[in-house]
Amino acid sequence: MDKFEKAFNDIIEKDLKVEPRDWMPEKYRKTLIRQVSQHAHSEIIGMQPEGNWLLRAPSLRSKQVLLAKIQDEAGHGLYLYSVAETLGISRQEMNAQLHSGEAKYSSIFNYPTLTWADMGAVGWLVDGSAIVNQVSLQRTSYGPYARGMVRICKEESFHQRQGYEIMVKMAFGTPEQKEMAQDALNRFWEPSLMMFGPHDADSAHSSQSMAWKIKRESNDHLRQRFIDRTVPQAEYLGLTIPDPNIKWNEETGHYDHSPFNWDEFWNVVNGNGPCNQERLDHHKKALSDNTWVREAAAAYAVKTENVVA
Amino acid sequence: MDLTIKNNEAKFLVRLADTSLILGQRLAEMCSNGPFLEEDIALSNISLDLFGRAEEMYKIICDIEGNNFTPDDLVFRRNEREYFNIKLVEQPNEDFAWVIVRQFLHDIYVQEVYTQLLNSENSEVVGLAQKVLKEVRYSYIHSKDWMERLGLGTEESNARVQSAVDHQLKYIEEIFAFDELDKTYLADSDQLRSVWENDVNATLAACNLERKEIMPLTMRDFRDGFHSEHIGHLLSIMQYLPRAYPDAKW
Ligand SMILES: [Fe+2]
Ligand SMILES: [Fe+2]
Ligand SMILES: [Fe+2]
Repeated sequence: MDKFEKAFNDIIEKDLKVEPRDWMPEKYRKTLIRQVSQHAHSEIIGMQPEGNWLLRAPSLRSKQVLLAKIQDEAGHGLYLYSVAETLGISRQEMNAQLHSGEAKYSSIFNYPTLTWADMGAVGWLVDGSAIVNQVSLQRTSYGPYARGMVRICKEESFHQRQGYEIMVKMAFGTPEQKEMAQDALNRFWEPSLMMFGPHDADSAHSSQSMAWKIKRESNDHLRQRFIDRTVPQAEYLGLTIPDPNIKWNEETGHYDHSPFNWDEFWNVVNGNGPCNQERLDHHKKALSDNTWVREAAAAYAVKTENVVA
Repeated sequence: MDLTIKNNEAKFLVRLADTSLILGQRLAEMCSNGPFLEEDIALSNISLDLFGRAEEMYKIICDIEGNNFTPDDLVFRRNEREYFNIKLVEQPNEDFAWVIVRQFLHDIYVQEVYTQLLNSENSEVVGLAQKVLKEVRYSYIHSKDWMERLGLGTEESNARVQSAVDHQLKYIEEIFAFDELDKTYLADSDQLRSVWENDVNATLAACNLERKEIMPLTMRDFRDGFHSEHIGHLLSIMQYLPRAYPDAKW
């Protein structure tokens, strides 16, 4: 073991942070690039399902809250792209990987948002599950990522509260609103739980990531924490969790649940969800429609500042 | 519900509120469609300012009208002919050049309007004007910067921005066809026009853009609730939920 590797191992062992200028194993760097860019892409692609209702938000307040939320997600994406850049990959490369399918984003954003209640369910469940995951990542071993998570988590908890607020309005509203709320929960419950990834036994990257302290808690552990905190929130709303086997288990101190439909999960991961194609096409189109804008900005910079583009 | 605005000052203010709202909605369409992430965020920022501004103005209007209706009633329950925005702001986002040109032409106009409203006798309007002027300053710098970049950037960007200018200048004349209300509530309506003309002419010239002669157009006035065809589509999307579920609270 050379002195660089020893220094790196010391950092991990002592629970200190790895910084961009530190030596790190190539696989550590690659793993982080994969995870951070996937996280960044999720923030950005996640703008679309919520953007779907932005123009139809039913009050001035909800319109502003939703737009501010989506803008926050764009900010998270921007921040995370910068974190990935410290590991030696450019935003352009990351976009290319996203477009080629080499880089993934969270599968949850491949589901359509079909009613206004989905704006509630997404905030409550999707941001909710993101928070559980990201709070855990505040202790991740890569310094810039950990600090980013601290900042981002503050905003995510706003998002979750605002989402839940929509659920409250819907669940206690007219019969039609309540029906929309239940329908949204029915559609988003299981996909939100699968956001935590495969079971620990089937998770390809987990054990090395845990050893390097990139990941601090296992998928199943985090998922259970989310279930335990969310079931009572659904009860308060008077909504039914779409799983007949959800019940409190005195012995384990957790809620039991049915097995998940992993076939659907992998099918969506592999590109065959309801909106995979649409999400990617939208992202590509926004970029390609505006190539001329970026070219103009670059040409202008060259002309006025003599900067080489 | 009778949403007719009866007070003269409120009638004047609703033109500004509607202009702000409709432009906010148009810019919101750009969310996740910007040329790059930083610009996406900037456009959302401006859109949020416009919605906030509209809401504050509607509150003032509702107060004047005795609070018989709310800002949300005004936004979601009025029909096309009851909207009084300038037609410029309902023009679509054909491409990024349209977005920028529309914003620029609007920003110069509202910058001077709100500057003049600092002299209003209504202290709430003055307070709002002070806040708006800070926001518009930012939006104006943003849109003017882009006018320059696009005008002086590439041949293609210059052609696109020129075509957006040619189209959108058609909707300017009506802005300056002031009526008695404008003349009452604006400190100096003539100056509004001259400030606007000077800035536009200087900026176009500096950006290698042409201001072409526009023939007088036959177009009914926004002050009477007349619009281009675009407004109906914009409203039907925006108002869909409260109209489809009239008893629901959101
Ligand atoms: Fe986020
Ligand atoms: Fe996130
Ligand atoms: Fe969020």
